[in-house]
Amino acid sequence: MVKAKINGIAVTAEEGATILEAARKVQVKIPTLCKHPDLVSSAACGICIVKIKGTSKMLRACCTPLEEGMDIVTHDPEIVSIRKTILELILSNHPNDCLKCGRNNNCELQTLFADFGIREEVFTKSLRELPVDNSTGTIVLDPSKCILCGRCVKVCQEMQDVWALSFLERGYGTRISPAGDIKLADSPCIRCGQCSNHCPTGAIVELDQTAKVWEELLNPAKYCVVQIAPAVRVAIGEAFGFPIGANLTKKLYAMLRRLGFEAVFDTNFGADVTIMEEASEFVERFAHSKGPLPLITTCCPSWVDFMEKFHSDMIKHFSSCKSPHQIVGVLTKTYYARKNNLDPKNIVMVSIMPCTAKKYEIKRCEEMYASGCQDIDVALTTRELARMIKQAGIDFNNLPDEEPDHILGDYTGAGVIFGATGGVMEAALRTAHHLITGKDLKNIEFEGLRGLDGVKETEVNIEGKTIKVAIAHGLNNVEYVLNKIRQAKKDNLPLPYHFVEVMACLGGCVGGGGQPYGVTDELRRKRAEGLYQDDRGKKIRYSHENPYVKKLYQEFLGEPLGAKSEQLLHTHYRSLPLYSK
Amino acid sequence: MAKLSSAQDLAKKKKELQQPRNNWVKVGMSSCGLAAGAQEVYDTLVEESRKRNMQIQIQKCGCQGMCYAEPLVEVSVEGLPVVVYGRVNRETAVKILDKHVAGKMLVNDSVFDLNT
Amino acid sequence: MDKKIIFIKDTDSQAADRTRDFYTAFLDQLREDGLQDEVQVLRVADIGIYSQGVVVKVLPAGMTYGKVKDADIKRIIESSVKKDQVVEDLLLKREPKQLRIVLRNCGVIDPDSIDEYIAADGYAALAKVIHGYTPEKVIEELKASGLRGRGGAGYPTWMKWNFTRQSKSEEKYIICNADEGDPGAYMDRSVLEGDPHSVIEGMIIAGFAIGASNGFFYIRAEYPLAVERINKAIKQAYDYGLLGSNILGSNFSFDLDVRLGAGAFVCGEETALIASIEGRRGTPRPRPPYPSREGLWGKPTAINNVETLANIAAIILRGGKWFSSIGTEKSKGTKVFALTGKVKNSGLVEVPMGTTLRDIVFDIGGGTISGKGIKAVQTGGPSGGVIPKEYLDTPVDYENLQKLGSIMGSGGMIVMDEDDCMVDITKFYLGFCVDESCGKCAPCRLGGYQLLGMLTRISEGHGVAGDLEKIRKISEAMRKASLCGLGQTASNPVSSTLNYFESEYKEHILSKKCPAHKCKHLITYSIMQGRCKRCRVCVMNCPVNAIGGDRETGFYIELDKCIKCGKCFEACKFSAILKE
Repeated sequence: MVKAKINGIAVTAEEGATILEAARKVQVKIPTLCKHPDLVSSAACGICIVKIKGTSKMLRACCTPLEEGMDIVTHDPEIVSIRKTILELILSNHPNDCLKCGRNNNCELQTLFADFGIREEVFTKSLRELPVDNSTGTIVLDPSKCILCGRCVKVCQEMQDVWALSFLERGYGTRISPAGDIKLADSPCIRCGQCSNHCPTGAIVELDQTAKVWEELLNPAKYCVVQIAPAVRVAIGEAFGFPIGANLTKKLYAMLRRLGFEAVFDTNFGADVTIMEEASEFVERFAHSKGPLPLITTCCPSWVDFMEKFHSDMIKHFSSCKSPHQIVGVLTKTYYARKNNLDPKNIVMVSIMPCTAKKYEIKRCEEMYASGCQDIDVALTTRELARMIKQAGIDFNNLPDEEPDHILGDYTGAGVIFGATGGVMEAALRTAHHLITGKDLKNIEFEGLRGLDGVKETEVNIEGKTIKVAIAHGLNNVEYVLNKIRQAKKDNLPLPYHFVEVMACLGGCVGGGGQPYGVTDELRRKRAEGLYQDDRGKKIRYSHENPYVKKLYQEFLGEPLGAKSEQLLHTHYRSLPLYSK
Repeated sequence: MAKLSSAQDLAKKKKELQQPRNNWVKVGMSSCGLAAGAQEVYDTLVEESRKRNMQIQIQKCGCQGMCYAEPLVEVSVEGLPVVVYGRVNRETAVKILDKHVAGKMLVNDSVFDLNT
Repeated sequence: MDKKIIFIKDTDSQAADRTRDFYTAFLDQLREDGLQDEVQVLRVADIGIYSQGVVVKVLPAGMTYGKVKDADIKRIIESSVKKDQVVEDLLLKREPKQLRIVLRNCGVIDPDSIDEYIAADGYAALAKVIHGYTPEKVIEELKASGLRGRGGAGYPTWMKWNFTRQSKSEEKYIICNADEGDPGAYMDRSVLEGDPHSVIEGMIIAGFAIGASNGFFYIRAEYPLAVERINKAIKQAYDYGLLGSNILGSNFSFDLDVRLGAGAFVCGEETALIASIEGRRGTPRPRPPYPSREGLWGKPTAINNVETLANIAAIILRGGKWFSSIGTEKSKGTKVFALTGKVKNSGLVEVPMGTTLRDIVFDIGGGTISGKGIKAVQTGGPSGGVIPKEYLDTPVDYENLQKLGSIMGSGGMIVMDEDDCMVDITKFYLGFCVDESCGKCAPCRLGGYQLLGMLTRISEGHGVAGDLEKIRKISEAMRKASLCGLGQTASNPVSSTLNYFESEYKEHILSKKCPAHKCKHLITYSIMQGRCKRCRVCVMNCPVNAIGGDRETGFYIELDKCIKCGKCFEACKFSAILKE
């Protein structure tokens, strides 16, 4: 432990803790801009400078370790004046677009300007005119709003291992862009949106498609249907002052009805169906040796994109099962439409997702049109939904609870935990156990599959047979798992895993790129806890026991992996080039 | 080349190499010299001394520091002080061979006698 | 017995050159004495002494006489030529101002020949260290020498080595930082090109001391000759077994390789340099951790400048104590400077620490090339500052330069005369830093850009009251909040010129005048009718036809057309063009 003083207050911190971290312990808030708790400090902005009493040299609190006996001053007129000058410099290079910016009122830079009382532009305005890149159809990169904090680049390279974004040029001309100055869509970008989630300004935001949804909702010829993903319900509250992780499922149902949707479904139902298919797929491969092991989950479209670009040798290990929201989409326009005598062409299916990549997934390949038209019409992120709620004048906080619409709205505890890393695996194992043994588990909560460790490896015993599983989230953790598989295959060794779950974003969907800003591990944990609580509160916690799922198979699909299921609920993958030009 | 496998080897090598040498001309051939035309001067010295069948070694060396006076040519001829000629061109190079090396007379207006 | 030779040079730059007159006079006198065949009289181009009238040096004895008058010729021949006696009253005391340690072999040996290096005591220090020193003893010796890093910051070399030595790791590295990039500085290039083995030997010894078995040269690709010579030298050292396994029969093995820099100035900053070698974008990262703990590929790494490493062998051979006897209290040894700018003898000089700027600029550099008064000396390159002429007698060392608001830096030294404008000079240095900023941190990237914009406006006559206050504000923010040394010091030229020459800035801002007549937008040309001979040379030289009038009525410059190129001013033989 290191003992020091910050603003005269004695502080004890762990060896290696930064001044910034230590200061928090004694209720001292040092302003930051480029620093993000998820990322190793890049030390780019200089806002967090502090000084050691009696010296004139200034240190960056975000990356300087606290040392024994330090006597640190975090705020004095000189420090504040320098911080202000830096902000004024940044302002000289930042467009005054706040009122029409995607981050208005929710911008770290704007907040700092407000806090520091910046009232005039001291320095000559000098803006860079750089083209906006919305080529991916999921996120919008506006480099002229970029303050070069480097978070997106670090996220893209270090957290996600994608390397789509990098810095180009140098000095005043420095800007963020895919290498080679190509469009994001032609780059290895996997549309995970983590860059947009970590950007402190409006330089990278999700592509806003709320206007399209409004248009459809107001069109009397259309029958608008909506579904909400598991992770949305525990994050949307952050935009309305609810405690972090609060589960607002039932308020969401009510709200979506008030927005004008004719039917409100839940992606969790789709998750239960996914489990029916995927667990069956696993049992086929594991117990009946039909198909290669390990089986790798594919609910995450960014992971699919990443695999197709970087690890296409693994395609045969991929579950062919579609992601839950695609399943709800296709079932709405087939099963539901038939039951309710609706023309699928008039149905508009909107998914509310924690994810930007879902905007890409809905058009990924021809199987996303299995119903005969595009199965999902629009995918909105949690952030877009929050804006719609505000636009609609709905007092979200005081809404009554409501229930979802049947036949695609009722879910089990297994379906809801899909939103947290390890959840798909946990849900699948619950059902796989049943499929193999015909019996239910004694303890259905797999602690070893939960939590934020980047790679979680565990073994599950089903009637004497050991199932080895691995879970990776945050794409830089994937390679370790895949290489282990490759190595074992190469050396003809026993498989290291039988079943692997991958989610592109840290924490799984609760930490998705379309979720509210300000994500930290603490937030991820609390959001996940909201989902686990929902699971615990459910009477039915096995996907295969969902009565509506049973009904679906009885009335429509037949059996898991049957012909109809294959036609509607499964897809295929192909190898993609990293750079498409 | 044989490897030097001990400190003694190195010392021996040094001794072999330290033969006193007279009668040489060195041309500063670092970037500053080359930029000022040292290659031409060097080539001229080699060519002309060969033509005249002179017993003189034309050597290369690095920068002496007097970059303003490049190309520099240092001349050591028995019986004469070692001097440095600066801003040497083809013409001076020939003069150095004919007058200084052969005639044992230093060349006017070209010696840079810096107190280094 | 060597032949006698008389060197003659008129060292007064202002008056007409009388070298030839004295040459003839000496010849005549020798002929009179019948000595014409025994003594050679030589007109020399430069005699290394300045402003001492006619200087005469008699060889081989070497006595040197200054301010020689016609009447002295006879006396000199009588005493010094005929008898080897000294003419006391004319004698000039010539103490060598330069001392060559780093440049000991430069211009002496053939850089392409390892044999010549060995003959000049090369690799003897390595042999001494490998077969008799512990690594600790090497570091002790360095500690005793007081050697400080010559790259700019002046950090004690022994401490850097010691920290790296103490860091525990299987693998450690030594890097030679040869990414020299300051405008006007080329000391390192010269050493690499002129004496590559001295740096290699320094690196091997460093490797031995810190426990590294691998080293890298990081050389900018703009130095192709240096790269070629280093590569050749490395190969020769391998051939001789001075690199590779079991060097000189010992247990110590060391490998050396070259990595090229792509020319970014910031890659001279050690953490950016490491990133560049690792194949990443060359931008600095925060320290700690220092490279001595986590450097190249995360391993402990010592990064030393070329000049620092070139000192090592000399220190080992002659002892730390010897080295520490040279220089000032806190700055030991010598320093190589690249003396450039408006100085007569531009080039490399190596002087003991503590030599005054005056000695360097006047005694070695020969004063200004224009003959005009000196205004200031800039040291430390783009991170340094200007030292006005009032401080020329300051002994140069790390501390003194810092006290004057400049730095030692890597050793660039640029002489400025009265024609140099401080705003203009500052604009140049700042322009360099803005160009070379990596763009990572906001204070440097945006602060530098804004400062340069302001200086440009000032130099173009658009400065406004309040500009200086803003300049100071940005400079301070850059100094305190930039991430790396480049950004932290990029505003030094501004602060330093503003400190010493504020009035010059004010003239630009308030009176819209450039006192040195340098800033193009602030000068006007006109024809002084009284002096004009109406020869039309100015008219012919004007590239934009801005000179109107005719031979009858006289010529005048049309100011709205004039692009202020100065062609007419230079062309006029009658000094009839007024520049103000």
